[in-house]
Amino acid sequence: MLEALSSSQRLKTRFELLPVLVRAANVAGLAIVILLLVTIVASLAPGFLSPFNLFTLTRNLAIDTVIGFSMMVVLATGGMNLAIGSIGVCAIMATGYLLEVLGLPIVVSIAGGLAVAAILGWLNGILIVRTGIHSFVITLATASLYFGAMLILTKAEAFRELPAAFNALGKARFGPYSALLTVTFAVGAALLVLFKYSLVGRQILAAGANPVAAKLSGTPVERVIVVAHVLSGLCAGIAGVMVAARLAAALPSVGQDWLLPSFLAPLLGGTLLSGGLVSVVGTLLGAVLVTVLQNGLVLLKVGSFWIQFFLGLTLLVAVGLDRWRSVYVQRAGLKR
Amino acid sequence: MIRSRLVRDLIHAEWMPLLGITVFFIVALSLIAPAFLTEYNLFVMLRILSVTGIFAMSQMIVIAVGQMNLAVGAIGGLVAILFGGMMEVYGIPVPLAVLAGMAVGIATGWLNGAIIAYSGINGFVVTLAMLSIYTGLNYGITESIPFYHMPQALLDWYDGKVGPIPNIVAIPIVSAIMVSLFFSRTRPGRYVLATGGNPAAAALSGISIQGSVILAHTVSGALAAFAGMVAVARLGTAEPTIGVDWLLPSFAAPVIGGAILSGGHVSVMGTMIAVVLIVLLENGLLLARTDPYYVQFFLGMLILAAVVFNRWRAVKAEKTAAPVAQEAAP
Amino acid sequence: MTAGALLVENATKVFPGVKALDRVSMALNSGEIHALLGENGAGKSTLIKIVTGVYRPDEGEVRIMGKAVSFSSPRDAFAAGIGVVHQERNLIPRYSVAENIMIERLPTKRGLIDRGEMNRQASHWLAALDLAIAPEIPVNRLSVAQMQLVEIARALSQQSRILLLDEPTASITRNEIEVLFGLLRRLKDDGVAILFVTHKLEEVFALCDRVTILRDGRNACDGVPIADIDKRQVVAHMVGRDDALSDIGNRRANLGEVKLELKGVSTALGHRGIDLQVRKGEVVGLYGLVGAGRSELAKAVIGAEKITGGQILVDGRPAVIRNVRDALQRWRIGYVSEDRKQEGLILAHSVAKNTGITIWHRLGGILKLFTDKQERKAIGPFIQKLDVRTPSLDQDVGNLSGGNQQKVSVAKWLAAESEILIVDEPTVGIDIRTKGYLHRLIWDLAEQGVAVVLITSDLAEMVLLADRVVVMRDFRVIGDLPNTYNYEQMSRQIMGRIHEAKLDEEHEGGASAFQGA
Repeated sequence: MLEALSSSQRLKTRFELLPVLVRAANVAGLAIVILLLVTIVASLAPGFLSPFNLFTLTRNLAIDTVIGFSMMVVLATGGMNLAIGSIGVCAIMATGYLLEVLGLPIVVSIAGGLAVAAILGWLNGILIVRTGIHSFVITLATASLYFGAMLILTKAEAFRELPAAFNALGKARFGPYSALLTVTFAVGAALLVLFKYSLVGRQILAAGANPVAAKLSGTPVERVIVVAHVLSGLCAGIAGVMVAARLAAALPSVGQDWLLPSFLAPLLGGTLLSGGLVSVVGTLLGAVLVTVLQNGLVLLKVGSFWIQFFLGLTLLVAVGLDRWRSVYVQRAGLKR
Repeated sequence: MIRSRLVRDLIHAEWMPLLGITVFFIVALSLIAPAFLTEYNLFVMLRILSVTGIFAMSQMIVIAVGQMNLAVGAIGGLVAILFGGMMEVYGIPVPLAVLAGMAVGIATGWLNGAIIAYSGINGFVVTLAMLSIYTGLNYGITESIPFYHMPQALLDWYDGKVGPIPNIVAIPIVSAIMVSLFFSRTRPGRYVLATGGNPAAAALSGISIQGSVILAHTVSGALAAFAGMVAVARLGTAEPTIGVDWLLPSFAAPVIGGAILSGGHVSVMGTMIAVVLIVLLENGLLLARTDPYYVQFFLGMLILAAVVFNRWRAVKAEKTAAPVAQEAAP
Repeated sequence: MTAGALLVENATKVFPGVKALDRVSMALNSGEIHALLGENGAGKSTLIKIVTGVYRPDEGEVRIMGKAVSFSSPRDAFAAGIGVVHQERNLIPRYSVAENIMIERLPTKRGLIDRGEMNRQASHWLAALDLAIAPEIPVNRLSVAQMQLVEIARALSQQSRILLLDEPTASITRNEIEVLFGLLRRLKDDGVAILFVTHKLEEVFALCDRVTILRDGRNACDGVPIADIDKRQVVAHMVGRDDALSDIGNRRANLGEVKLELKGVSTALGHRGIDLQVRKGEVVGLYGLVGAGRSELAKAVIGAEKITGGQILVDGRPAVIRNVRDALQRWRIGYVSEDRKQEGLILAHSVAKNTGITIWHRLGGILKLFTDKQERKAIGPFIQKLDVRTPSLDQDVGNLSGGNQQKVSVAKWLAAESEILIVDEPTVGIDIRTKGYLHRLIWDLAEQGVAVVLITSDLAEMVLLADRVVVMRDFRVIGDLPNTYNYEQMSRQIMGRIHEAKLDEEHEGGASAFQGA
């Protein structure tokens, strides 16, 4: 703090350029790291650029990105959502039920699954806002609650007889790439519009950065927090349906391992844990980094057992940079 | 005089409602399910309790300083396999292996705390990353294969007794008493709680915030390591998967027990009763022959109900305790 | 009297856009009570923060007992033997009174804390202050006044040779003040050096030996013996006659209909029977000491706090204001918060977003989609009008100087086309130029027909700007005075009102316990 103050004079002279650089550096830096990584992996493991590998890689990427978006939307409010995996699996099982047991059309079934996800997200938001308890505890509890309820309702039995047309979604290609990427890009574009051009998106960010100031400026803080959780649920649902299409089945075991990827992509992409700042492109790039890293480690036969280790290390380094950035923002705030 | 005050304090203790529910649960279960009070069933429950109670306190200590430790399970798992590996592969005697395991726990916990304190990065993110790193190390070392051959001395110790008290009863109770003393009667413990309660005031009173944070994480690491080693003794194998399912109960127990997540207030007694309650819930649903899936559901419900109740009580207490503004007629 | 317990020499502290301290000196001797005076923004708090190790001076030095020191944290100042009672409360909420007093030297027996001994030692200091507070009870059960006294007890218990008290009497009763003063005199006789920061002149003359006054970051006087100075001169030093306050031209008051009216309003925070009328084109001042409930009243009017009784009328129509959105969108009421960093602005967001937040709902048609360009077009004129010095509209507000930040926090309510504007402490901590500019702006707004409510603790500013001064105390209105634009006269009248109300209350036997100071 002291250092910040004594150096505030220096900061002033260059304060026009620095914030722009800091922001650009994050996305650009991430892009450079990814390029380097891709070059290394592609040159060491020839299988990397094979159509098959590119297909699985982009399919995983499509899903992990949307999982990251799901967390990013809530991080924007300064909260978190530990129930993403549970909501995702609830959406999967709902979709599977509608498809297999009720035999509804695919579009209707997916809509039904997403509706379930949105409602569960809404419930999270309402509980957080009404009780005033931190989103961590609420979503920790609802993660268990939703997952348990799903198991009770389905008796932990999978739906494996899904219509071929639905399963085809998971196999669809776009050149060598998975067609699921189009869904991801659509979600990303929608979020980009939301946070950049819409009233609600801006209000979510304002509420996340400083809820008191936002409230005193006429922002319905509680309402936009609920909206953010609905959107988070929706994204989790979309990711879930994509997983179901990939697996060609609705399995109740999906989603338990989403916690780490859900945080990895947005945090690597420069979204602040403290709220008020998101980066849609950054989250996408963060997911790319994670996916390429995972894929590369497998191809290079480092052993899949070490993947977690490297992911954790990457996260630690990334948040170190993130910290440097937020110190910068704070310093700015200390000045008078 | 003294006795009546003790009784009064007990009645007003914040864990009293929780204890009431737990006792009710025990009575109800013993009436409904005859198998509940059998020696075997109690033994099974105590075995679960001996591990859960320790890692719940590991989490509680970090909550006290106002942070979270997502890596409790990862530390437990890493220490468990190192502990098992040392004994199986290198034939290191149990006491030495225990010491080494504790050292690893202390080192990992200290590392968590030091990174948080010196970098200023949010503790949640750091421990999330460390969770991944420690788990990665665990899998990298074991390649997911457990160490199966644990020395008989370890298993005997676990099933042994101190005087008339079985070790599996003594372990959680002794740990709870130690942690309780730490928080109520030692300077470092008081400073950890003070830091969680009001960091700015603590700093102005000459307490080192960084020191408190590092200490809390270090003790948490030590307890997580202990829990991991007790788990090895309980299972008879050092499985790499030890700790993966600790996350939920490790938060659930302190939070149900009345801990405030923003720091400054935890309850050892509350946490331990909550652990008993959680174990009873699992056991009871099992005995009632419901699907095991109900456990997840009801655990979620239990956490929600507890935090909402605690919140309501805190708000009520605030209202009644707040100095009343003057109410004189206008 | 030994010299130089604490010496500050030519301390300078610069924040971007404002020189908070400009070669300020102060000499605190052992065995004296030294008053530090100055208006809000004069640099008192910066000076205190330097002495207590929160800030480091850019130039100049601090000496303790003759030795130059350089604190890098409050702990260093603490270790150097400076006891401080801060303006903000600094207690561990769930800890007992005794433990809060003894926190940094808890007595132990065989490694464990000895609670009996702790309570015994703490009781000694509570008794010294004549405090009938049981040492075992947790401090979060105390009133604000009691908490303040506990902090004083803590500072005393450290037996520091240098004691800093930052507005220690802001929320305690007269009896408690008497006991405290008696104790401070005893400490003085024991050779302790005491720095006493206050707003209340009576206290200075009742207690202190010498006085240092700051104005606009400079020494207005440095350690003048109290015998050589009278109240009039002190006020003259504090207010000065040469600052920007005097030349903002003439006010052409052109009052219209009653725009905002409060009838018998009471709130959940403790306001009772508040009546208030503001006309179009009028500047109504709300004056009161800290804790009088002025900002809280403002927040109730804009729907951020709950109103429990009475009525608010806008343009003569009853207005139900459930939240700030209603106030903003339906009734066009704006509130410029006193705390711009916490409540007024989102420091990590850009100038454009901070200004635009009040008008986003009007942009972009039904879908509420709009571009940055549209936002800029809407807010640009206001940023220009207020002459906000920023390299671009994309600049984070946190990077602007205090004055420019304050302009942004005003600009957003101009952009919102507020018809009623409540301005809370608009000029705290900003440079003189901007101050003058904002003063002029408040009049301009009134001339354009805006109903302005001005909350300020700076009496000179109040006398300069307001058409009428409504005086508040303990969440009630206790006076409504037309402004004579004569500082001396207004000051006497207003302080008289506050003082009378205080006496009345003590007759009724009500101990004052403020909320939300």
